[in-house]
Amino acid sequence: MATRALLAAVSACPRRRIGIKSSTFSSSLQFQRQESRIIARSFSSYTNSSLSLPDISRLAETARISLTPAEIEECEPKIRQVIDWFGQLQQVDVNCVEPAIRAEMEGGNLREDAPQTFENRDSIRASIPSFDETYLKVPKVLNKE
Amino acid sequence: MSTTLFRTIQPNHFTLLTNALLRTRRTSRHISVRCQTSTTTQQSSSQQQQPRTSAPKNHGSNKLDEILKDYEAVIGIETHVQLSTSTKAFCSCPNSYGSHPNTSICPVCMGLPGALPVLSSKVVDFGVRLGLALNCSLSLKSKFDRKQYFYPDLPKGYQISQFDVPIASGGYVDVDIPLEFGGGHRRFGITRVHMEEDAGKLLHSDAGDYSQVDLNRAGVPLLEIVSEPDIRSGVEAAEYGSEMQRIVRYLGVSNGNMQEGSLRCDVNISIRPIGQAEFGTKVEIKNLNAFSAMSRAIDYEITRQALLYNQGQADQIVTETRLWDEGAQKTVTMRKKEGLADYRYFPEPDLPEVILTQEYVDSIRASLPELPEAKRRRYEAMGLGIQDVLFLANDVSVAEYFDEVIGKGADVKSAANWLMSDIAAYLKNEELSISDVKLTPQELAELIAAIKDETISGKIGKQILFELLAKGGTVQGMIKEKDLVQITDPVEIEKMIMKVISESPKQLEQYRSGKTKLQGFFTGQVMKMSKGKANPALLNKILLEKLNAKD
Repeated sequence: MATRALLAAVSACPRRRIGIKSSTFSSSLQFQRQESRIIARSFSSYTNSSLSLPDISRLAETARISLTPAEIEECEPKIRQVIDWFGQLQQVDVNCVEPAIRAEMEGGNLREDAPQTFENRDSIRASIPSFDETYLKVPKVLNKE
Repeated sequence: MSTTLFRTIQPNHFTLLTNALLRTRRTSRHISVRCQTSTTTQQSSSQQQQPRTSAPKNHGSNKLDEILKDYEAVIGIETHVQLSTSTKAFCSCPNSYGSHPNTSICPVCMGLPGALPVLSSKVVDFGVRLGLALNCSLSLKSKFDRKQYFYPDLPKGYQISQFDVPIASGGYVDVDIPLEFGGGHRRFGITRVHMEEDAGKLLHSDAGDYSQVDLNRAGVPLLEIVSEPDIRSGVEAAEYGSEMQRIVRYLGVSNGNMQEGSLRCDVNISIRPIGQAEFGTKVEIKNLNAFSAMSRAIDYEITRQALLYNQGQADQIVTETRLWDEGAQKTVTMRKKEGLADYRYFPEPDLPEVILTQEYVDSIRASLPELPEAKRRRYEAMGLGIQDVLFLANDVSVAEYFDEVIGKGADVKSAANWLMSDIAAYLKNEELSISDVKLTPQELAELIAAIKDETISGKIGKQILFELLAKGGTVQGMIKEKDLVQITDPVEIEKMIMKVISESPKQLEQYRSGKTKLQGFFTGQVMKMSKGKANPALLNKILLEKLNAKD
């Protein structure tokens, strides 16, 4: 659940480049791609600011977790840390790099279209809290969100 | 199929004259509108290139025609196609419609911790196939994303979909508008085609305060096709939908069955005063389970929105999802949308990117069947009328049957006629499809040839057709067995005529005293005597001579 909230926080932040004064990066960051093409980047000279912190209670709502005001307060600095970290990442100038849409993996990762019944279906069904004959029973829902 | 549906629902037809007048007028207007919009909005290039050659169609409603003098509808369609793979998209659970509820499940499609999705190669194959059929550019690298929302039919809490890099994009589709709706050829842009998984099925019991969920469908592969907002009327929308159905059936990627939910269309529609460049407020219509319903829902929605405009209440048109109520024949509010839904998309970390090689794409392109549009143009070039063309190309199995029949050398027009009249009627009465009949294309070609070379009469041909359809067998065998060879010997026919005339002196007298209608009586008698085998032209010729002869 916590992971979901954080991911939600990250994706809820508007995409923009932000300068930070972190010293965790070397002044000239080098990034090596697999083809051993080396692209040098430098820090942008933007003034220091941070990505805005999302509304924590709204964030909790989208992740379907209930937080007390005290928990919200407790969460806030942690989420700010994460946001700030992404702020650092966004500072990197990637304009001249072809986007790597996914991490590169070995090929041949597709599956044959051959059906196979999962043997232990009964234990999955046994863990479903509420059954109405063969159907899962859930509170009446008619509208999304 | 769609054509017949339209016929039944659109009883009123404008006179040709009115139609023609409106058409000329609207054509010029639409062109000017397009020129304005092309600079401000993202209209598909295909539409800009193609000047509107046909006016918005005859809707069978004067009210709607009146409205369309002042307003233009802008319609885009999202089509979900359920793929006919053997397994779900990301796990090996069987993908079988109608299985016992909640039996086709596993840790992957149930979203259990630690379970990892693996994409089926067939889904990629079908995605490429459909992308190519819709004239799209393919992404040699595409990826999956998670679309987050919480709903009881979604076990994982997110749907695996493709967000910013779909497998195919930027295509188009060509359709022929049926003659009764003004005819003409239209091209609609295709924005994108992407791969995703279906959610489970929710059933809402009328009684009780709960809903039921069947997760057999959760994880079943879908292709979503998004059109450009190029569609302008209910008729065009229905024709676009029908073409999608034909294409997926021709390709064999889906059964395209709307009743089973294998093909689902959501319509986005707004209207704007003619001449206005900006789009109006967009409304989404769901729950359209037939193309005729789609057409009527759109016409209803155009009327509703125009009424609000005319009453100065355009602000009452809000971004919302409306449902088509088939019983009441109107759309009703399902839910208002407050801003854009926040799906918090991010790249699916459990799946690698989807990489296609150019060789792979080329091999699929080479294996594509002839598509509906190509078939229609080919049939047209053979000299068939557009009604015949649309009928034959509508159903892939009918088209294949027809192709086989003419492949055996049968006369094209006769083959089309037999298929469209007697065989179509038989299929309808018996509730069969062309693949169920026992008459092989080879024998239909034989039958047509036997009639053409006058071995048998057309009438006998019709009689044995039904027997062949139901029981099979060969035309030659049946002709021999039943001694059906047409009598074309004038002497023999004359003999029979003389016999009939001599047996009917009373009728002969009446005929000769001016009651010439009685010719039919004599024809009938001779036919009866010949067991339908007398050549009708020869029979009539000799009969007339004999009847009019003064002896």
